[in-house]
Amino acid sequence: MRDAAPRRPLGYHHAVTFPSTTTGVPMPAASPAAAASGDVIVVRDLHKRFGSVQAVDGVDFVVHKGEIFGLLGPNGAGKTTTIEMLEGLQRADGGELRVLDLDPARQAAQLKARIGVQLQTASLYPQLTVAEILALFGTFYPRALPVKQLLDALDLGEKKDARSKTLSGGQQQRLSVALALVNDPELVFLDEPTTGLDPAARRSLWDLIAGMRRQGKTVLMTTHYMEEAEVLCDRLAIMDHGKLLDMGTVTELVGRRFKERAVRFDTIDRLTDAQLSGMAAVTHVAREDPETVLYTTDVPATIGALLSATEALAVDPANLMIRRATLEDVFLDLTGRALRD
Amino acid sequence: MRSLVSLTIANVRSFVRDRAALFWTILFPVIFIVLFGVIFSGGGSGYSVGIADQDNTPTSQALVAYIQKIPFLTPTPSSPGAVPQDTGSEDDLLASMKLGKIDAVLVIPKGFGQAFTATGASFKLPLYVDPSNATSAATITQAVTQTEAAFEQGLSHVRPVATIEQTDIQAGQLSASAFFVPSILAMALMQLGIFSAIPLVEQREKKILKRLSATPLPRWALVGSNILLRLIIAAAQTIIILAVGSELFQVQVTGNPLIIAGFIVVGAMAFTALGYVIASFAPTEESANFIVSAVQFPMMFLSGIFFPLQGLPDWLHTVASFLPLTYLGDALRQTMVGGVPFASLSFDALVLGGWLIVCLVISARFFRWT
Repeated sequence: MRDAAPRRPLGYHHAVTFPSTTTGVPMPAASPAAAASGDVIVVRDLHKRFGSVQAVDGVDFVVHKGEIFGLLGPNGAGKTTTIEMLEGLQRADGGELRVLDLDPARQAAQLKARIGVQLQTASLYPQLTVAEILALFGTFYPRALPVKQLLDALDLGEKKDARSKTLSGGQQQRLSVALALVNDPELVFLDEPTTGLDPAARRSLWDLIAGMRRQGKTVLMTTHYMEEAEVLCDRLAIMDHGKLLDMGTVTELVGRRFKERAVRFDTIDRLTDAQLSGMAAVTHVAREDPETVLYTTDVPATIGALLSATEALAVDPANLMIRRATLEDVFLDLTGRALRD
Repeated sequence: MRSLVSLTIANVRSFVRDRAALFWTILFPVIFIVLFGVIFSGGGSGYSVGIADQDNTPTSQALVAYIQKIPFLTPTPSSPGAVPQDTGSEDDLLASMKLGKIDAVLVIPKGFGQAFTATGASFKLPLYVDPSNATSAATITQAVTQTEAAFEQGLSHVRPVATIEQTDIQAGQLSASAFFVPSILAMALMQLGIFSAIPLVEQREKKILKRLSATPLPRWALVGSNILLRLIIAAAQTIIILAVGSELFQVQVTGNPLIIAGFIVVGAMAFTALGYVIASFAPTEESANFIVSAVQFPMMFLSGIFFPLQGLPDWLHTVASFLPLTYLGDALRQTMVGGVPFASLSFDALVLGGWLIVCLVISARFFRWT
């Protein structure tokens, strides 16, 4: 199914506020591809159309064994459609798909036994307990992990006899991730795994997903949280309007565009684009109301120019901040709009 | 197979733990039966006994007149269309008893008058009653026996001549309760089946069906477990409804249990398939709720569940003849308590089987999992 129209507010403001240079974990020095023994997912020229909407429009990417690969983009970008074609839940209109060396369209049954899937679903079986649901899903697979092991791994032991409808949002989400691990899969698909969670619950899920990588599992996840992508993903593909705009590690994606720092402030209407781009050391101007972002090679020079310009207009630049360029800036640069749309 | 069993157990657990579902499928029909049983059983203040006077002597005519003066045995009819038909030939009277117009038939054979005048031996008068309602059968037999004895006493005869011989015969809507118990079972099975549309649409909307199809679970196991759940509930409903009918209203099931079970299974499956059809076309849970109500309420009232179809206007008859519930109710009434046939049992089975197949084909074609 297609992503719904944008409607959820994107709560990642902390990802763009100063100082964000400390954001994220160190990225692996070398690309995991070098160490990988094979490609777990191969996608070539993938297409999918729903009526008049081209949901996925010529997507190519490869996911290596043992990495966490992220599809980043706003709601409606085509992430969920892409992931569901890989899971064998939807048929592609065109293109080539290989998942674990299987064709998801024709070998769906074999594939489903070896992958773990977490969807953006409400609670399954609200009247059943956590342990009952895990045991039930275990019977769907030829091989399943013991319920106790899953409960411990997902920190749901205390809730094992609680009906799933009584779980908190974070616990529901952990249960839904636990269900993706029931068959001890080689490849795990996570579709917006932390949407709607509070920051603490989100961080605890991040630990869990990072743990999957340590166990040698491959993870393909979608997200529209920049910070999540920066923290978790070894490599990322940025997706919008059904197309992949760019792909790489966070460092590559940012470094490819921005040697600069970003100076942002609340948009002042009387400052024209010409004025802004003419300021000292400014390489690029992005206006994303209510904020304006100036990318600069020399922060003090740009700030000086900005302050004298605003002084002449007798206004103060509100919420003035300086930061390193982030994925957010990459996205803004690629699409001309902020991801929070 | 393992997943079919575990899914069915999960379904049953979910169902039993859902109080609202339990109420609507188990308690609601029971409340209906008690309510209707009490209301309609209290309606008639006696029983109408038809008398076939084959003797046609002054003595037998005196007995007929005597019985007709007893108000308890010649009540005004409690339901529309039930015209008391007190006298006539044995065949005619038995026919109207089968139509539910009278409750019992007393036959006065030839030679009755002779038995009083001559030194004739004791004489037997057959009394046809419907055994499916044990209470009314016993009450009528007792009342007729006493009335006849009183009549003989009035003749100041030295020794009792005639005895009333109770003869069981499957009749029509002998009592309101005997009518309602199988009818309400049919209604409960209909609701059970049609309501399956709502959780299906809910599971589709909440993407639970999609989540399940991301596992190797085969779809036949998913559909099979839903049908098994419905059949298990149908069995529970049947047992409870029949127990209530038997305990509170003495409605005895007289038919072949295998045929009855067969109709319950086919009926529950046909209406569950209809539920799948509704789920195939309802985009949201709200619309599924609306369609279910729009289908079930008219069907409930136009299918002869709450009142006998005999004696109703033709147009209603025509409407009823298109509704599957008419045939399930008819089949259950016929097989359980010997109700008046609306159609033959094989026609009932044919219609229900036809609905089942048509609904299966439609939902196989149009049901969407996501």
